[in-house]
Amino acid sequence: MEKEIIYLYCVTDKTPALKDIAHLTNKLRPISYNGLYAIAGKVKKDEFSVQALSKNLANLRWIKAKANLHEKVIEGIMKKGSVIPFKFPTLFNSEDNLKKMLKKHAQKFQVHLKGLAGKEEWGIKIYCDMDKLRKALIREDKESLNIDKEINASTPGKAYFLKKKKLGFLDTSARKKISEYGQDSFDSLSRQSVKAQINKLLPKEVTEREDDMVLNSAFLVDKKRIKEFIKIVYNLNSKYKDKGLEFNCTGPWPPYNFCEKDE
Amino acid sequence: MSLIVQAHGHLIIFVKKMNDVIAKSKDITLLEILDRALEKGIVISGDVVISVADVDLVYLGLKVLLSSVETMENLRGAPIEGAMQEPT
Repeated sequence: MEKEIIYLYCVTDKTPALKDIAHLTNKLRPISYNGLYAIAGKVKKDEFSVQALSKNLANLRWIKAKANLHEKVIEGIMKKGSVIPFKFPTLFNSEDNLKKMLKKHAQKFQVHLKGLAGKEEWGIKIYCDMDKLRKALIREDKESLNIDKEINASTPGKAYFLKKKKLGFLDTSARKKISEYGQDSFDSLSRQSVKAQINKLLPKEVTEREDDMVLNSAFLVDKKRIKEFIKIVYNLNSKYKDKGLEFNCTGPWPPYNFCEKDE
Repeated sequence: MSLIVQAHGHLIIFVKKMNDVIAKSKDITLLEILDRALEKGIVISGDVVISVADVDLVYLGLKVLLSSVETMENLRGAPIEGAMQEPT
């Protein structure tokens, strides 16, 4: 039995400079076919067999190390040209099997890589401090101020119900505002992008932040327009700062969000 | 002091000129990497196919308190109402 498995990082159409990333892992090798290069590495079966994976994928320390390596290798390749990043982990039992896959999808990969040339993926996550947003809404909204006056002039019983009404009213407007601000931000950024994508929101257990994620998005941006794109992020951040919004902008990333799915 | 821009290369300088905070937090990086490399990226059947449920285990691992994929699904439904998100 082979003790090693072939691990696929990405596919590129430019001759890869593997020596620049050799310090990350020394087992990298390009498997080429018709102008395409699959950047692959060898991994141990006792780490990456289906059985081993089911255990390792529950081990955060293991995932941290491996996902980080996955990312760093692809970033290294990305410096020379476009890449199609593969989902972590994509594995083959032999180089032959990988080559077969590469041949089968070669045309699709080539077209896709051409489309990605000169473009970068940027990520925008927006978080909202709900207390800050509610306070901003109270400052701006007359109806809420009117309720305040009523509360002060009411008996304790009535004041209790009015307070509940006010909270309900605030929740509704906060939801509306979050949707409005998110849409505005997404639209403004989309206009500076080639493609845009909205992803699942991550819960606080995952983000480990106090505030709520209200938009998780990714943009494919022309390299020549990155400055304009970042400037818009900066402007949106200033525009919505008082409403409790915080923009988290990261990039450039391999185009994980802009690769066609296999049918 | 709230815009976080993470950039490799010259972009950092550009943003610094706008008096912004550049945070290079390792945790942010990890969250971002997992949100991409495990959730996205092209899926071509290799010889080993990892199911979505297994991937969810990663998120579970991020905060060891959670014990089942079902809990994760519940959490996924929990984010704030009104916000836009990818349909599940």
